[in-house]
Amino acid sequence: MISLREVGLVYPNGTRALDGIDLEIAKGSFVFLVGHSGTGKSSLLRLLYREQKPSSGMVVVDGIEIGKLKRSKIPELRRKVGVVFQDFKLLLDKTVWENVAFALQVTGAPTRDVMRQVPRVLDLVGMAHKSRVFPNELSGGEQQRAAIARALVNNPKILLCDEPTGNLDPVNANEVVDLLHRINLKGTTVVVATHNALVVDRMRRRVIRLEHGKVLADDERGLYHGIESDIRRDAEDLALAARVRHGLG
Amino acid sequence: MDWGKIRFFLGEVWRNFTRNVIMQVTAIGTVTVMILLLGTFLFAQQTLGRVGGDQIAKIEISVFMTDKATPADGQRLMARLKSDPRVKRMTYIPKAEGLRQVRDRLKGQLDTSLLTSNPLPDALRIRVVDPNQVHAVAAAAGKMPNVANVEYQRDFVERLLRLYDVMSKVGLAFMLLLVVTAAIIISNTIRLTVYARRREIAIMQLVGASNIYIRLPFICEGFLDGLIGAVLAVLLLGIGRWQLWPKLASSLPFFPLQDAGSDFGTFALQLLGVGASVGIVASWISVGRYLRT
Repeated sequence: MISLREVGLVYPNGTRALDGIDLEIAKGSFVFLVGHSGTGKSSLLRLLYREQKPSSGMVVVDGIEIGKLKRSKIPELRRKVGVVFQDFKLLLDKTVWENVAFALQVTGAPTRDVMRQVPRVLDLVGMAHKSRVFPNELSGGEQQRAAIARALVNNPKILLCDEPTGNLDPVNANEVVDLLHRINLKGTTVVVATHNALVVDRMRRRVIRLEHGKVLADDERGLYHGIESDIRRDAEDLALAARVRHGLG
Repeated sequence: MDWGKIRFFLGEVWRNFTRNVIMQVTAIGTVTVMILLLGTFLFAQQTLGRVGGDQIAKIEISVFMTDKATPADGQRLMARLKSDPRVKRMTYIPKAEGLRQVRDRLKGQLDTSLLTSNPLPDALRIRVVDPNQVHAVAAAAGKMPNVANVEYQRDFVERLLRLYDVMSKVGLAFMLLLVVTAAIIISNTIRLTVYARRREIAIMQLVGASNIYIRLPFICEGFLDGLIGAVLAVLLLGIGRWQLWPKLASSLPFFPLQDAGSDFGTFALQLLGVGASVGIVASWISVGRYLRT
């Protein structure tokens, strides 16, 4: 579904955001991208919906080669890829319903589809009862669920989330990630860039760790700080426990 | 017909149009002034052109033959000039006829019975097809055999032609300046709307709206600015045409003004077209520039 080969990204100001990235993300998988701020998580996501072009290497998303994609073909790609952000990016002068419908209407979808798809996704994210409410009257978690509904209304094959829980408290964060999980179970490939360790550790899904624009670790059932550090921490805990016992004994 | 789609689209256009009313009024006002001046200028040019044309059409070249020229020479000269495509019409005036004409013209002012001998040579009067060719034809006739001299109202022709030419050029430059000004102000208005709606545009691009879908509401906004401005100008021109013009015409009876308003409908449609086009082009450019970056 997503494939990166030797991908490099250098911004015009000379910043090397990504360097020699090799990745395969299978259809229907759920992947966390973790790493400190500025390690290239967002840059990597931006390549996948062609907000950025790779400076080198090859990025393929659902059979489309991003580097060679014509400007006029970008909308086609964007309809296959839903994107969710930390700051929701909802339109404040439109209701939840209008925000979600907007995403369909501006692609020229017939009204019939709008009337069918919008209730479906609002129901999926559990926001059907708030469809007439404006974003400012919603909690952060609700706003993010509305934003997810908007990202899903085109029936994308891939859902990209850039720090989706960044503005949420732990309870709302867990709810949003559970929702993403449910969406994934329906067959959508989900990629989540985050530095929310709690969420990552609870899910135990594939974790790709970036550092200085390179893939540092890629664990199939990973943890936020990595399995090795987890083992090390366990070992340290054991050692500490042994010392404590020893000291006590 | 998908009424939901149409309603959504019109809603977007209305939202754009009402977002910044003051800028919209400025843009429309500029177009009104532009079209008003354009209309007035075209009308003035047309009227002057017609008046000038009437005068120029009356201009004749007089070709006087030498004293020793025979009627046969006159016939040859006429044949030569007739083959020139620039010549529209010509009359041959033998000296007897010339004298009779002079007598008629001077009757009552001068005792022409004193003229016993005829001092006039045989002459030709020529009218040309295009007033711009008066000089050339006169010069050509002057070089032909048996021609003594050529006369025509050189100063008058030259001044009239120069005035018409200068007026056209100045007017054209002035109009271009106005069109550019209107285009810049419309494009600025659209840019403000684009800026006010940058979040919507970003989301449209994010969810895969095609470029034309993003552009269209802005193009419509520019079109409306241009069209409404032009409609106002045409209304004002109409008032001028039916209220002011008759008064002006009756106060200047000596000036051969003609009713130029017979094809006002076509004229109005052309002006509306100009206004709308300026609006569309200006908004197309300013949205395009935003979307590319």
